[in-house]
Parts: sequence; structure tokens; C-alpha cells
Amino acid sequence: MKDLKIDGTVSSPNVRASWQEGTLYMEGDSYPENSYELYADVVAWVSQYLAQSTAPLNLELSLLYLNTSSIKVMMDIFDEMEEFFQQGRKVSVNWYFDEDNERVAELAEEFKEDCHFPFEIIGK
Amino acid sequence: MPAPNLYDLRERFEKDRILLCFNGPISRSLIEEIGNALKNYLKSEQMSPACALDVFAAYIELTQNIRHYAASSQLSGAEVATVIVSYDEGCYRVSAGNIVKVEDGQALVERIDALSTLDKTELKALYKALYKAQLRKPRDENAVTGAGLGLIDMARKSSKPMEANVQMIDDDTAYFSLSIEI
Repeated sequence: MKDLKIDGTVSSPNVRASWQEGTLYMEGDSYPENSYELYADVVAWVSQYLAQSTAPLNLELSLLYLNTSSIKVMMDIFDEMEEFFQQGRKVSVNWYFDEDNERVAELAEEFKEDCHFPFEIIGK
Repeated sequence: MPAPNLYDLRERFEKDRILLCFNGPISRSLIEEIGNALKNYLKSEQMSPACALDVFAAYIELTQNIRHYAASSQLSGAEVATVIVSYDEGCYRVSAGNIVKVEDGQALVERIDALSTLDKTELKALYKALYKAQLRKPRDENAVTGAGLGLIDMARKSSKPMEANVQMIDDDTAYFSLSIEI
């Protein structure tokens, strides 16, 4: 399976996914008008990785502002990870935030509330 | 055509403490450009990053709502947005308006008024319930309630109840405006 590399823009994050490492990195703001189109490849990569590999999946996120439709995409991804976690798969999220901006931590915290897998919110 | 009276306009801006104002057809790239200008301004004002993020979020949600409405309603002129960011008595206010079909405008005002009766805990519960109902559903099913989530999100960020109103233009169309205080 291929790796994923989507360069960020003003309104969309940098995305990197490594099949070998089992890691998806996302960094930046996310407020595209149509998040579903933008994230179709990311969502597909996660689905395929979860379905076709048995190795752990880790998300390394440094996301700042997410608009409503981006939040929905992230919720969908976390929901799929949760489903696999419930079946015994190793999945985890590390969400990094700037300690000056508690709003980002609050956003991550709301996602975390619905996830039972390891979900770390890390200030730096 | 006489030259516009810029001084009057400026006085009005000063009186209403308007920091930023845009009026015209709003595009994706304009939303980004104006958003960048707003971000830089908020940074230069040394406001807290969390508060700056709230103001920016309100700006993006309001302007993208107008873009989505213009696309889905196919109403001519709906993409012409009036957007204002103002600052008064320690609070930022983001306001945006556009032309809508009368029934759409009235439905929106009703929704927003209903949200204003809820406290932050109730808003959060509603927000999460709506999201969960939409988890991994195909896109077109989401389209129906997509704007609803944005409104609840705005209600949660707003320090006072959001103010929405419709002003009749003719039998079919009205001017809808929404204002959020951060």
C-alpha cells in the first residue's frame, strides 16, 4: 500500500502517512469548504490500513483550528479506530498543542471523551 | 456619479468600532485572504491565542455558511456577503449577512432563537448527539444538518446569545444577518 503525502495550504493541514510505520501525521489549520473531498484519501488510507494490516495505528496530530466539516471528518476517523480498538487492535492518538492556546486542548479533549483507546493531549 | 463620501463612511466605522468590513461576492480565496488579515490583526493586538481562535472560528463559520447557502439555494445574489468584525467594551463581535429566501431566513432565526434558550451544557449535549447521529454517514445525508452543527458550535463559542434577524426585501427574499459576540 502506498504512503500518503498531501501538502498543506492556508486552509488545510500537511498530511503524511507511512504504511511501514503505521503512522498518520497531520499538522496545521483545517477549514476547507469541502472537507470530505479534501480528506477522502486520508479517510481511505486509515480504512485500508486498519482493514489490511494488523500492525498498530498511531495518529500524530498538531491540528489547530478545525471548521465544522473538518471536525466531522476527524470524528469519523476516530470512530473507525474505536471500532477496531474494540476488536483488540492497537490504535492510539497523540495530539500536540501549544500551551498558550488552551482552546486547542479543549477541542482535543472533546474528541477524547468518545474514545476508549490511548489518546494523549500533549502540551509543548 | 458623485465621489463617495469617504469621511462619512470612516466616521460610521469609527462610531461602530469596526475593525474590518467586507461587502461583495465572497469566494473561497477571499475568505482565506480576509481570514489571514484578521489573524494577523488579532496577533498584533496581543489578544490571547484562545480568544483570537474563537474570533477566527466565528468568522470562518459565518462566511462559509454563506458560501454553502449560496451554493445549495441557487438564489441569485445570495453569495454577496456583508461581513464585519468590530470591537467594543472588551468584546469582539463578528457579524455577517446575506440575501436569503424568506422561509429559509425565518427558519434560521427560529433555530437560533431556540439555541439561545439552552445553556452551555445543553448545547454541548445537543452538539455531540447531532455529530454521533451523523457518524460515517454518506455525505449527502449530512448536507441536511451540516449547517445545524455550525450554528450550535457558534452558540457554544458566543459569550452572549447569538443575535439573528431577517429584514424583508420583497415577497420572496429577505436579508438575513447573524451576529456573535466573543
